Amino acid sequence: MTGLKHILGAAALAAGLWASTASAETLRVLAWEGYADPDWVKDFTKETGIDVDVVFVGSDDEIWAKIKGSEGKDFDVMAVNTAQLQRYIDADLVKPWDLSKIPNQKDVLPRFQDLSKITGMTRDGKVYGIPFCFDSIGLIYDTDKVKTPPTSMSVLWDPQYKGKVLAYDNGEHNFSFTALTEGIENPFQLTPEQLDKIKARLIELKPNVLSFYTTADEALQIYQNNDVALIWANYGQQQLKAMQKAGAHVAYVAPTEGSLSWLDNWAMTSGVKDESAAAKWVNFLLDKKVGAQLSERTGFGNTVVASANANDKDKLVWLESVEDPLKRSDLWNEIKAAP
Amino acid sequence: MSGRVADAATNPGAHVGPSRLAPWLAMLAAYAVPVFFVLAPLTLFLGYSFFSVDQGDIVFTPTIANYVRFFTDPIFLPIFWRTCLLCLAVAVLCVLFAFPVAYFLTTLRGRRRYTLLVLLLVPLLMSYVIKIYAVRSILGGNGMLNKALLATGLIDQPSMLFVFNLNAVLLTLTVLLIPFAVLPIFLSLERIPKALRHASADLGASGAQTFWRVTVPLSMPGTLSAMSFVFVLAIGDFLTPQMVGGQSGFTFGRIIYSQFGTAFNWPFGAALSVILAAVVIVAIRLGGHAERRHGGAR
Repeated sequence: MTGLKHILGAAALAAGLWASTASAETLRVLAWEGYADPDWVKDFTKETGIDVDVVFVGSDDEIWAKIKGSEGKDFDVMAVNTAQLQRYIDADLVKPWDLSKIPNQKDVLPRFQDLSKITGMTRDGKVYGIPFCFDSIGLIYDTDKVKTPPTSMSVLWDPQYKGKVLAYDNGEHNFSFTALTEGIENPFQLTPEQLDKIKARLIELKPNVLSFYTTADEALQIYQNNDVALIWANYGQQQLKAMQKAGAHVAYVAPTEGSLSWLDNWAMTSGVKDESAAAKWVNFLLDKKVGAQLSERTGFGNTVVASANANDKDKLVWLESVEDPLKRSDLWNEIKAAP
Repeated sequence: MSGRVADAATNPGAHVGPSRLAPWLAMLAAYAVPVFFVLAPLTLFLGYSFFSVDQGDIVFTPTIANYVRFFTDPIFLPIFWRTCLLCLAVAVLCVLFAFPVAYFLTTLRGRRRYTLLVLLLVPLLMSYVIKIYAVRSILGGNGMLNKALLATGLIDQPSMLFVFNLNAVLLTLTVLLIPFAVLPIFLSLERIPKALRHASADLGASGAQTFWRVTVPLSMPGTLSAMSFVFVLAIGDFLTPQMVGGQSGFTFGRIIYSQFGTAFNWPFGAALSVILAAVVIVAIRLGGHAERRHGGAR
């Protein structure tokens, strides 16, 4: 009896293997966890007859290593953020999309309608990225300690919050957001004079800062054991939800000067086997049902249905690569070393 | 006959070979691990410290720019000295706390002594990060320590003396490193022959005199090596200052760490590490030197 089961099992396995190699199309997807959930993949295969192989990644560098390592030949589509996309375009590792093959892109939220308005998404009039998932870096404040909801990150410098601010330990972002509070149009390309000015501003911020955190868990622990009023929320809505779940009385604001925001896009590799299958995949994910599920499951914003991550009137400043990361990191050390 | 002669003449090494090779092979085996896993990475670091970085790529042209930068840039030397001083303070504090503990241990008999010793070493089995998190919830503005002080009425509002600053780093490092100081001191105290103390008493010395003139000097090797041990562990730590140092507890280890993350300046990070390694080697030599000198005198 067990012998028969084994034989049947082996046969089924063989049939499965045969089926997967025999199927005409298999779309190879490189994505972050949460961007290609099994139920979506199943529905997609049912709808289009295209099989999907998903490989999940853990870091930007890992995506680069996998795509660059195979010169784009190992994958058809991948998810990368706006700042990262540039080096793939420079290295000819991605192909432009044909928007007519992605009809759902016409029905996305207003801010994602005109892709040419999102820096880094297009080059020479061609579209290289289709926005999929985003979040803003806003301000979390303790509603018991901060009576009037702040409107700008400049509240972090308010002397009444001396020693009550949690800042994030990252020079690049800190220069960018401070530049926004100073009304600088492009916070990612600062002149040496602007860098000096921002550095002085950040040194002025130090007396207010209790500590510089790196992970959301760490920030929560510090919050629970200390008198913290304001948190520069690198992890956005996820961080807010985790804090509320832990019983904290906190709320989130998107500053009026603009919130730094990351945006992940679907890009097609230069080694794509079947362009129409890739376009079908992206079109499928821009479905309203999938978008709502994405936000519900991850806490991130999607591009098709409104989520808590951003109101239509919130100003989001999509992250770009900065003028000189090394310089910013050195300046950040000088700021931390300043007495 | 001629065959045998020829054999011996052409192949002299064949007989002596194994006996001469064996020690070499043994030595190779003994040295292979440290050479591959310690010496090679260190040499690599030394090599990297003479390179530079341009636009995110490492430039493999030898230069001493990294070292020049360390000695001329106004931010590095002050942080460096501050860190050395901090770690020296940690070492002294650890020894001050560990000595009575170690001394107490030597007064215990048999199984009790070693049970207590093992209990003291149990924290070493725990993850370092967990211990820092625990310390952090003790030291926080609303942490256990502040709550206890408020409850006893010693202070009327939370004290910020030990919350996210250099004091917090000092306290945390001391607490975490005490076990490392207890062990060498305990071992050196245990090695002091009882006869010496008895002789001192027989010659009319009081308990205090015996302690200060016999026990303490004879325990010096262990005490000094405990100090250098703790100093070395403290100065290499970047996690504790990162997690409890706040905005003012910036240390040398944090600067090194930052060179390998977002900055991606491996050569400069390597140069700073070489400087740190030099300090560590000096500290270990001092500890070892003291041990030999005092140990030899005995």
